[in-house]
Amino acid sequence: MPPDATGAGKGAFDVVLIGGGHNGLAAAITLARKGRSVCVLERADRPGGMARSSEPAAGAHVPEIAHLLYNLDARVARELGLGLLLKSPPIPAVSLAPDGRHVVIAGDAARFADGTPHPDAPAFGELNARLRRFAGLLGRLSLKSPPRFDGGLASLATMGEMAALARLGLDLKRLGKHEMREFLRILLGNAHDLVLDEMADGPLAGAICADAVRGNHVGPRSPGTVFNLMYRLGSGGAVRLPEGGMGAVCGAFEQAARAAGAEIRTGCDVVRILVENDAAKGVALRDGTTIRAGAVLSSAGPLQTMTLAGIGHFDVEAVRRARNLRCKGTVAKLNLVLGAAPEITGLRGDLAAGRLLVAPSAVAVERAFNPVKYGELPAEPVIEAVIPTLTEPSLATNGRHILSANVQHIAHTPRGGWGDAARNRITATVLSQLERHMPGLKGLVEAAELLTPADIEARFGAPGGHWHHAEMGIDQILTLRPANGLAHYRLAVHGLYLCGASAHPGGDVTGLPGRNSARQLLKDRIL
Amino acid sequence: MSRHDRYDAIIAGAGHNGLTAACYLARAGLRVLVVEKNDWVGGAAVSRSLHEGWTYSNCSYVCSLLRREIVRDLELPRFGLQVIPYEGGASFTRDGDYFAYFSDHDALRREMARHSPADADAYARFSQTVMRQCRFIRPFLLRNAPDPASLRPRDMGELLFLIRKAHGLGRRELAETLRFWTLSIGDFLDEHFQSDLIKAHLAGSGIIGTGLGVYSPGTAYVLLHHYMGDVDGTIGAWGFARGGMGAISNALAASFQEAGGTIVTGSGIDRFLVSDGRVTGVALENGDSYAAPVVASNMDVKRTFLKHTDRKHLPEDFIRAVERFKIRGSSGKLNIALDALPDIPAAPRGAPFLRGDMHCSTSLAELERAYDDWKEGRWSAEPYFDMLIPSQIDPTMAPKGKHMMTVFVQYAPYDLEMNGVRSADNWNDDTRKAFADSVFDKIAQAMPDIRDRVVHAEIRSPWDIENEVGLTEGNIFQGELTFDQLLFNRPVPGYAQYRTPIAGLYLAGSSAHPGGGVMAAPGANAAREILRGLGKAGRMPDHAA
Repeated sequence: MPPDATGAGKGAFDVVLIGGGHNGLAAAITLARKGRSVCVLERADRPGGMARSSEPAAGAHVPEIAHLLYNLDARVARELGLGLLLKSPPIPAVSLAPDGRHVVIAGDAARFADGTPHPDAPAFGELNARLRRFAGLLGRLSLKSPPRFDGGLASLATMGEMAALARLGLDLKRLGKHEMREFLRILLGNAHDLVLDEMADGPLAGAICADAVRGNHVGPRSPGTVFNLMYRLGSGGAVRLPEGGMGAVCGAFEQAARAAGAEIRTGCDVVRILVENDAAKGVALRDGTTIRAGAVLSSAGPLQTMTLAGIGHFDVEAVRRARNLRCKGTVAKLNLVLGAAPEITGLRGDLAAGRLLVAPSAVAVERAFNPVKYGELPAEPVIEAVIPTLTEPSLATNGRHILSANVQHIAHTPRGGWGDAARNRITATVLSQLERHMPGLKGLVEAAELLTPADIEARFGAPGGHWHHAEMGIDQILTLRPANGLAHYRLAVHGLYLCGASAHPGGDVTGLPGRNSARQLLKDRIL
Repeated sequence: MSRHDRYDAIIAGAGHNGLTAACYLARAGLRVLVVEKNDWVGGAAVSRSLHEGWTYSNCSYVCSLLRREIVRDLELPRFGLQVIPYEGGASFTRDGDYFAYFSDHDALRREMARHSPADADAYARFSQTVMRQCRFIRPFLLRNAPDPASLRPRDMGELLFLIRKAHGLGRRELAETLRFWTLSIGDFLDEHFQSDLIKAHLAGSGIIGTGLGVYSPGTAYVLLHHYMGDVDGTIGAWGFARGGMGAISNALAASFQEAGGTIVTGSGIDRFLVSDGRVTGVALENGDSYAAPVVASNMDVKRTFLKHTDRKHLPEDFIRAVERFKIRGSSGKLNIALDALPDIPAAPRGAPFLRGDMHCSTSLAELERAYDDWKEGRWSAEPYFDMLIPSQIDPTMAPKGKHMMTVFVQYAPYDLEMNGVRSADNWNDDTRKAFADSVFDKIAQAMPDIRDRVVHAEIRSPWDIENEVGLTEGNIFQGELTFDQLLFNRPVPGYAQYRTPIAGLYLAGSSAHPGGGVMAAPGANAAREILRGLGKAGRMPDHAA
């Protein structure tokens, strides 16, 4: 190693991290705690990425993109010093029914909102418990770098890397023949069939299917959606609205990073990754500053990262794969500031604070997916809404409320582009759909902010405006995430690593890609 | 007077798989009876003359998947089977252009370059990947799918074989294989090609016969399923069976009869006879019954167990698993007698690619919309079809100077939606005609005078296919080819090796591994398992090498 590669000179760091989202921060925490000098560079004026909150109207704090916490692993949270985030109790989901017979889902239990039992509750309970059990096994694969097949299946090195897979195999055997076969049957299946094999179509089936497609460019009939459902359940499936709102989540990541000794600089737009002798040596910022480091971790997507380093440093095959990354963002975010809390027909106050789903049936969710395939806008999108101010009134002043809605499926850029007409149409469509259950909602709206996938890409750098930076399809997980040959965080340039959601294990506020990437860097002993 | 004879083995259904199993068993020295509900043999591999002078391949219409080992073992060429490869194909646009596919590499390159030079370059990479996957999968077709939940030496052995083959791929290719199997054909084509027309032309094989769209993950495998066959050793090539697809069944039947087998047609199975958990024979609808210690059903798994087996003989969770096995009708068929070759203004007269598969779909979006229609219970407003005029190559199919055309249509629902109700009962002469009209409208895109050329047309909805052939919902593969229904999951986890919960009762149809297409592998594999069960494994030709 050349002497300057240690990066120990004046003004230099061991590691510089591009992007101050939760994954960049998780990587920073992991590295700083191991005594490495770390600098996180965030383009925006505050860190947090898609987990941060914003203030579309004075005194009203909305979760800008992510509005719920549901996939943070307890062990990882403890390891990163974020255990407090998991203290708030899980919230139920309420699938809003056109006929007012809303279905409440809490853990493995389902019932009607008026307290009467749901006929499909036993089937749902059994299905959900089984999925959680399977998801728990798969979840263990998330904590490590994905298994490698280098040197063939029989080599000793591979055997080591394959330990996690072997463990999964053993755990499966331990489930018993019947459950193991069931696991292998449904693993690559589609949510539509899985759910409708067990229950009648309606708001309960719709809710499960909506969760199975959330964030991804798929409909419930698409094979692979059972895996998506299990990914969501990987940490037990509890959905939380952390104390202090989602702003508290990125606050906690930021504090933990600073407490561990990491430096966080905002307003730093990285325009180039410095590469010398095929090794990453730091970054150059838009204002001309260069920051030298022994390694560079990037939360950006693989193609964006390669472009920053200079595409010529990578082989044609790797670039082609990065270009072909499947990352069509499909979720738009509508943040509303309301003058007062909306009434929800047929729902008690405490349930109104739950996760509100507009997904009346599995068929409706599939129909909501159809238009996005052709760059068209849906007439009846699937919506996941929360009113966090019902739990945390301090998020908005003067008795106002905020309503945050994920709207699916919305094309990154519809045919004809995102003019005011298209934007207004989506806002109006969502408001009308919510108005059916929340009479008078439109009259309460004081401010509305719509973030389309195109906006999400521009504002947060997420490839394609995709929540997970890369579609969470079976063809893009584990050894194939983000692409075959790019799966172990390292890129071809020595000391350059991916640490964002496009890397294994993938999206959601988990901190895992960042943490795993940092651990891989430490393991590679290049610092 | 009803008959009550005794046999060593009975095969229920004279489809190509049933006949294949029957042949192997008869050649192993067993006394074998095949019973068939129709007055003819062949199931979905038939040639029938519904209009004088013309022969239709009524259901399946081209040949490639039929395993060469089986052709050789059963001496099918000696019994009249001749497969003639066809040379190419074409997709026609609305504005008078076309993309032609040539089996000649240089011609294909030139034609691709005419539409997109980059695509001509990409094609080598595309076909290399597909071919590599084909070579990987072919050795598994005539073997059992290992049961990963079992520790029996044989399953471990099969699993080891799979691991060894996977290991042989090398690290990149192994991961690439996992990716290929779970990718959609649309995404796979999008990452190789730019021309909408070329993509549409190549995508068809990914959706034929399935309830999936071109952008549904898993359809890249369906493409593979259509590429892994061969004609005379050319992998991926397709051909016509001279005399129609019935020639395959007829050759099988002749081979079977020469080996001493008996075929009884004209009455279907009423029920499988079971006593003390063992099959004892079959009872036919006409009152006849036959006894045998071994019975193999060529019918699909749903029909076998939900219609013709008394539930009390089956474990509850097996019945559950069979009920949720997905067999979705998604295809229709038009067989057309033409008084002359239709005029195709876009193409040079007599161009070789007109003797292959012709299509009128022009983009992946159009194909995906065709799927969206089907999901709602409608036939596709802009259907995908695979259209051939075999009489250009095989003159036995039509009177001299006249022609026979086969049009396979994707998608057509089994449970057709009418006035808010989805039901197979909605298929009647009116809806059949309206369905055919939508297809003719689109054919006219390439052949403006097509309607004037029609002498006779047989229109087959999924309901018609079910009704005649017996395939549940008219699904051509006896079950969707999705991963939850392939390999050790086909048709039911734990029962993926041709055996069933009833001792002596086997599955020999395409509901079993490796699935549908006129491949005959399930039939051969079932015969192997039957002989093994009888302690006569040595009488089965060894395909393991």
